[in-house]
Formats: sequence, C-alpha cells, structure tokens
Amino acid sequence: MNTQIRRLGIGLIVCFIALFVQLNVIQVVKADQYNSNPLNNREVIADFSRQRGFIQTADGKIAAESIPSGDRYDLLRRYPLGDLFAHSVGYFSLTYGTSGTEQSYNDLLAGRSRNERARGIAGLFANDSSDIADLTLTLRADLQQVAKDALGPRNGAVVAIDPRTGAILALWSYPSFDPNTIATHNTEAAKAARESLLLAPGKPLLAATYQERYFPGSTYKVVTASAGLESGQVTPEAPVYPTSNQYIPPGTTNPIKNFGGTTCGGNLAEILRVSCNTAFAQIGVDLGALIMRDRATAFGFDQPVPFDLPRPAQSTYPTLAALVRDSPKLAQTAFGQNDVQATPMMMAMVAGAVANGGTIMQPHVLQEVRNTRGEVIQRYQPRPWLGAMSPSVAAILSADLVNVVQNGTAKNLAIPGVNVGGKTGTAQLGTTPPSSHAWILGFAPAEAPRIAVAVIVTAQPGVSEITGGAVAAPIARAVIAKLLSLNLP
Amino acid sequence: MIAWSRRTVELGLIVLALLVTAGAYTLGALGVTSSIPADIGPFLLIVAGLLIAAHVATRYLARGADPILLPVAVLLNGIGYVFIARIDSDLAARQATWTFVGVLAYITTLLALRRVKELERYKWTFALAGVLLLLMPLVPGLGRTINGSRIWIIIGPLSFQPGEFAKIALALFFAAYLTERRELLAMATWRVGPLWLPEPRHLAPIVGAWATSVVIMVFEKDLGSSLLFFLLFVMMVWVATERVSYLVVGTGLFAIGAVGMWSMLTHVQDRVSIWLNPWEDPQGKGYQVIQAVFALAWGGLTGTGIGLGDPTRIPEVQNDFIFAAIGEELGLFGTVGILIAFMLFIGAGLRVATRAERPFEKLLATGLTAILGLQAFVIIGGVIRLVPLTGVTLPFVSYGGSSLVANYVLLAILMRISDTTAQRNNEVLPTRREERRHERAVLAAMNAPAPMYSTGDGYDADGWSPA
Repeated sequence: MNTQIRRLGIGLIVCFIALFVQLNVIQVVKADQYNSNPLNNREVIADFSRQRGFIQTADGKIAAESIPSGDRYDLLRRYPLGDLFAHSVGYFSLTYGTSGTEQSYNDLLAGRSRNERARGIAGLFANDSSDIADLTLTLRADLQQVAKDALGPRNGAVVAIDPRTGAILALWSYPSFDPNTIATHNTEAAKAARESLLLAPGKPLLAATYQERYFPGSTYKVVTASAGLESGQVTPEAPVYPTSNQYIPPGTTNPIKNFGGTTCGGNLAEILRVSCNTAFAQIGVDLGALIMRDRATAFGFDQPVPFDLPRPAQSTYPTLAALVRDSPKLAQTAFGQNDVQATPMMMAMVAGAVANGGTIMQPHVLQEVRNTRGEVIQRYQPRPWLGAMSPSVAAILSADLVNVVQNGTAKNLAIPGVNVGGKTGTAQLGTTPPSSHAWILGFAPAEAPRIAVAVIVTAQPGVSEITGGAVAAPIARAVIAKLLSLNLP
Repeated sequence: MIAWSRRTVELGLIVLALLVTAGAYTLGALGVTSSIPADIGPFLLIVAGLLIAAHVATRYLARGADPILLPVAVLLNGIGYVFIARIDSDLAARQATWTFVGVLAYITTLLALRRVKELERYKWTFALAGVLLLLMPLVPGLGRTINGSRIWIIIGPLSFQPGEFAKIALALFFAAYLTERRELLAMATWRVGPLWLPEPRHLAPIVGAWATSVVIMVFEKDLGSSLLFFLLFVMMVWVATERVSYLVVGTGLFAIGAVGMWSMLTHVQDRVSIWLNPWEDPQGKGYQVIQAVFALAWGGLTGTGIGLGDPTRIPEVQNDFIFAAIGEELGLFGTVGILIAFMLFIGAGLRVATRAERPFEKLLATGLTAILGLQAFVIIGGVIRLVPLTGVTLPFVSYGGSSLVANYVLLAILMRISDTTAQRNNEVLPTRREERRHERAVLAAMNAPAPMYSTGDGYDADGWSPA
C-alpha cells in the first residue's frame, strides 16, 4: 500500500503545484491587467486614500479639491463650482471611476508615475504626498459663467478657444450635471444620481462640446470657401455666381434651393454675407469630391483629435467613395448638410483657423502643473495641429467674415469698436414641424485675434437663415465681449 | 528519546506559529485602526494558553506522535483567525470560542481514543452515522438552506454543518471496510479491454458511494462535499487494493456523474459557466470569482499588508473565499506560504500512513490526510479558477465551528495513529511513573523479584507483536 500512498502524495503535490502556477499567473503575470480592468476600482480606492492635487481655473477658482471625508477613504473629492465644469474637470468617483481632467491627468493629480507600483507598498504606508501635482486649466470660470448664463436652459454648447495657442477658454454645454452627486462616497446615492442622469433628456453626462456631433449647416461654408480659395478656382473677384433661387447639380433633377426660396448670387464675399446655398452647392460640385474631401481633412475632419480630455469625437465628412458618383450629395456637403457632422469644438477650431492665419493649434485644457509648494513644474507648450489653409487665404476669409458681421447674417455678433468676424448656420433637421440647429462661429478682434467661438443651440423651431444669427449669435457675442473686457494679453 | 525530541521540536514550532499569529494580529489591527490592539496582552495569553494546553496534552497523551502536524494546524488556525478578526470582529469572537472548543475536542479525542484499532469494530456504526449526518440537513424542520446549499442543520441557537463530521465517520468506515475486504476486492476475475475487474458484487460499495454523492449533489446542492466523498472513497479503494482498475472505474463513474449532473442540474451548469467565463455576468453570477481574482491581483507579490486591503468586497470572504483575502493582503508570498503549510501537513499525514503497520491505520491515516488535502485543493482551486468553484471550507483557516472542530478531531486521530506507530517501533520510552507501574504489575502477576527492565523488543505498547 505504501507505493500507492506515495503516489497519492505525488498526485496531491502535483495538484498544489498547479495551484502555485495559477497563483503566479493571477498575482504576478496578469496582475496589472486585472488591476486596470474597468470593473475593478481598487486603484481608484487607493487613490482615494491618498492626497490628490487640486484643479483650479485660469482665473484662480478652485474647480476640484480633496477634503477630509471622515470615512474610510479619508478624502472626499469636492467640486465647489458644481455643474459649471462637469464636462471638463469631470469627476473622481469611488463607484464610477474618473472622467474629464480627473481622468486624463489622473497620474499627475495622484502623484503616480509609471514605476510607482515597482516602488512597492511603502507608498501606501507613508501616504507620501510629495509628488502629487496641482493643475491650472486654461478654462476661465468667469467666461464659463457668461456662457452658461447666455445659453440658459436651452440644449446646446459653447466653445471658446484662444486661436493662437489652442487653449480652451470656455467649454460649456447644457444640460450639465453636478459632479458632486457622482463623487459622493455613498455608493447608493451615486448610483441613483447616475441612473437618473442616464435617463434624463439631452444626455447630461455627455460633453456636447466635444463628444457629440451635429450638422454644421452653413458654418461649414467657411471650409468650402477656404477650399475654393486654396484651389485657386475661386478668388475674391471671380467667379461671380449667378443670382438664382435654385441650383441643379449634375445627375439629378432635384434642385437645391435657398432658405425660403430666396434669390442670391455674386462673388465670394457676397455669397458669404448672405449665406447663399445655391452658390456654395455649385462651388462644391465645381471643386469636386477630391478637393472637398482633402480640405475637410486639412481642417481636422475624420482625424483623431489630439485633445487632452477623454474620448473626443471625430468630426466627419463623407468618404470619396460615397461622393464620387453622387453630385447632389457633394453639393449638399458644401453647405454643411447631408453626412457632414462636426463637434462644436471642431467648428470653434475652424473659426480659430481663419483667425490664426490658417493654422489650427492643438486644443488643450491644461495650462500649468504645480507641485505642492506652488512652484510651476510643467507648462503646456502650444503645438500646431494642422495647417488648414495658407495665411493669404485666411486673410481673405477673415475680411469676408468681418463683412458678414458688419453687413450680413451675423449682425447680432457685432461689438461696437471691435472687428468681429463670424458666420451663421442653420442646420435643417427635416422634422415636422420644421426645426434646426442654430449655429454661429466667430472670432475677435480680426486684426489680432484673442478668441474664437462656436455656439450651437440644438433643435430650435423654424428653418431660416436668420435662426443662427438670432438665437446663437447673442450667446457668442456675450462670451467674446466678456473676454475682450478682461484685458488679458 | 526520539519521542521527547519530537515534542521539543513541536514546542519550538508552536512558539514560532504563536509569534507569527501574534505579529499578524498586531499588524492587522495597525492596518485597520492604526493603533496597537488594546487586547494584545490578553490575546497573546489566551492563544499561548490554548497552544500550550494542546502541546502539553500531546506530551502526555501521544508523545511519540509526529511533531509537524500540530504546529502546522495551529499556524493555519492562527492566520485564519487573524483574517477573520480583520474582516469582522463579531465573527472573530465566535471563531475564538470555536478554536477553544476545537482544541478541547483535540485533547478529548486523544484522551478518549487510546487505541485506533478499537474503532475498527464500529465500522457499521460509523457508516450509519456518516450517512445520517450527511442526510440530516434534508430532514424538514432541521435542515436549513444557506447560500443555495442545504448543508446546515439548526437546533435551537446552534447551527452546524454535519458534513464536516461525516467526512471523518466515512473515512473511518471506508478504512475499516476496506481492511476487511481488500483481499476480495483486489482479486480480478474478469477482464474488460486492458482492465482486470473484480467480481461485480465487490464493486457494489463503489457504486454505493457514487450514489450517495449523487444524492448529496442533487438534494443538498453541495457540489464540494459530494466530490470530496467520492474521490476519497475511490482513492482509499485504490490504496487498499493496489489496483489501478478501481481508479479507472472510479474516474469513469465520476465522469458519468459529472456530465449527468451537468446536463440535468442548472446550479451545476451555472458553476461550470462561471468557471469558464465569469466575465459574462460580472455584476451577477461571476461577481464573487471576479472580485476574488481582483483581490489576488491587487495583492501582487507582497500584498497590501494586513488590514490595508479591501477584502470585504468579496461576498462570503470569511468562509470559502478567505484565501483571496490572504492573497490580497499578504500577496503571493502569503498564498504560497499557505500552500506550503498544507503540503507540509499532507506530507506529514502521509508519512504517518506509510509508517503505520496495520492496514486499518494506514488506510485511515491516508483517508484523513487525503480528504483534508483535497478539500484545501478544491476550495483554493475554486477561488483562483483552476477548477469550478465548489463551496467547501479551507481547513483550519475558514470561519466556521463545525469545520474547525471536525478538523481538530481529524488531527487528533492522525496524532494517535502516529503515536501508536512510534510506540510500536520502540521510539517511545516510558516515563518513570509508567515504569514503576509496569514493575508493580509484573511483580504482582509473577509474585517474583522484579526483572530488569529491558529496552529491547519485549516492550509492547498495545499488546501486539509483529511476530
């Protein structure tokens, strides 16, 4: 029997060796993979038990800070400005992880560099807060508040950007939410808050400014105009587009008409001033799918956005394959209908490109990183992202867009004594009763731009070219006026 | 003298186990409340008192027994207690009581059970007791379903899992039965393919054990115990008969049973699908296993430190999943330590079996060791997804009175077998008092001058001589 007993012993040892191997797999080989699993919030909880840097706005308002919580996680994340920066600062939640800046700069805020785990468990004991960082954002609370007040309880988005650097100055969308409700340590309350936000109309959890796409409507004519100028087929003087109330693209008998059946035509400045669909449809078809698509990509359409907030949506323009045999579609894209879709932030960058001599800077919200002693240890270095057009084309367009504000559809954007450029948009939604997205983009001052803005107010009743100018322009003007009044460099 | 040095080794190891337990207890309190526990003094005294009592009892009652078994058991018990205390202080108070009862049961068993062979006569009593204990939870009014398994009975304020004691009763029965029948069972009379099989009627007990485990599985939904009883029986038959055909037939029956159960019982299907892919339902059925894996991964190599992890996210962490808590807070070092402790126990237990001379003792020691080792493997393997999860306790470590007391009784029986072997091999010298008593007895019997006491072959502890 002893032989069998020894074999039994060997068998049991083999079983235990299998356990040993599997333990190594779980605790060492795949440990990092399990630790970063989205279902696992242990890293978040570890972060909760340690100091975490605060986040402040460019004008010095605390947007996120950690306060003693009195419960087992030591520190509670608090957002003193409530819903104002829900989509940009984000939240730091026990239950739902992180979002916004809290997510994209988590390692800096938590003082956790990549080799931290290798440094071992000592950090957990020592509660070492020496390398956590405080963040200063490019966003301004005063500007954001103006945007919020101006938009009011209408679904929409306001993006303000410094065209020279790509710094995002304001990033507001309605509806928003109070991140404190998600960040609470009471998991039941956090869950209830999130559930109700998920069910709420208007997707409050989503950042409409950079995570949602909309038909840009006539604001897209800026891109089409730049494509025409860049190709050389359109100049300020020629062609002069025929004055007409309709344009019939090749390959169809369905005419494209202007809003309300109006008649328009003329040179580039004129058709921009009155936002003439028929003329722009003709530009699109004349330039052809190749140039139209090429210039869309030059502005960042169908390009991953190098933004420092999580999951920015890509703006889209139809593929060559979809356009090449479909002139009506191509014609419609030229004034921002059909399958053209853009985020409000994209359209702010289009305005910024015109203002900034054709160069689009990388959009970003981070300005400075400071250590706990308040010393700046890192400063965001502006980087160009795309060359959307040449400086000369940008200069022509800039003058044309100032003309749109002074004499055209964007009159509501005018600020006395300032050269403001702008373009309205009204994207028809094809609903009954008719409704449309009201758009405006703008920049100022035209000779030395400090701000570029895009505003959308979604699903407004009515369809007419004045909708964008009437509804969206006052909001953009309030934001631009506020910034210019601040006497910033 | 060998026996005395064994006890000295045991004492040293027990002191080590005590130091580890006390150190871990202090660290645990430091981790949870950042202060040295106020009750560390009384705690140390009580634990030391219990361990010394167990050791002294062994010194007097089984002084030739193996020196490894008791220290390993108290070490596992101590670490288990530290983690239970760290998870829930109310449970810790109860576990402390159960540890006390367990040590008492250990001493009582050593005291009452002086010769293991006496148990051989009661084999049918044990068979009956084992089956009754197993089936008790099915009695209406007595049994209670907890966490989906009907393995508890409730009498007044007391609740316990009779299955924990049934495993000892059945190991006793199997050992006695197989000792009696092993010659018959080993005779192969007919052949199926390459296998020589014994008479079909001798296979009846195997089929009986198989049927019993099926009953447990179907009616009590206790996958773990069912698996353990059947494997235990197959292994003991194999060891007793030295015939591989039993292993093959047993494995075959096991496979048939497993596939049959799987195709018929939804809770078995659930277990298997959770094992294969817990990520399908991470918030529901797979939650426990996934949380255990997260806990183990978070522990990594060195663990978070006792009291600094978050093991209470795992449902039932104090019972079946205590191993994951150890993995989170002590890391791979801690979990491998537990594995080594169990391997030491298995090694020592099987050494007791190989050294024992009588078939009954051999089989009993093998069975008791195997069931403890298998139980540890099945639950650890379940927690770390090596095998499907079956709810059994981790011996000596998990929270639970029945399990702890039963395992201390199991330990006492192993110690008794080990001691008996040592006595028989003349590794144990009598104490002076025993010498004098022996002398007086001989004097009285022979009414003659006392002979010189010899340390040779003549001394026989239980009146049995290998000749």
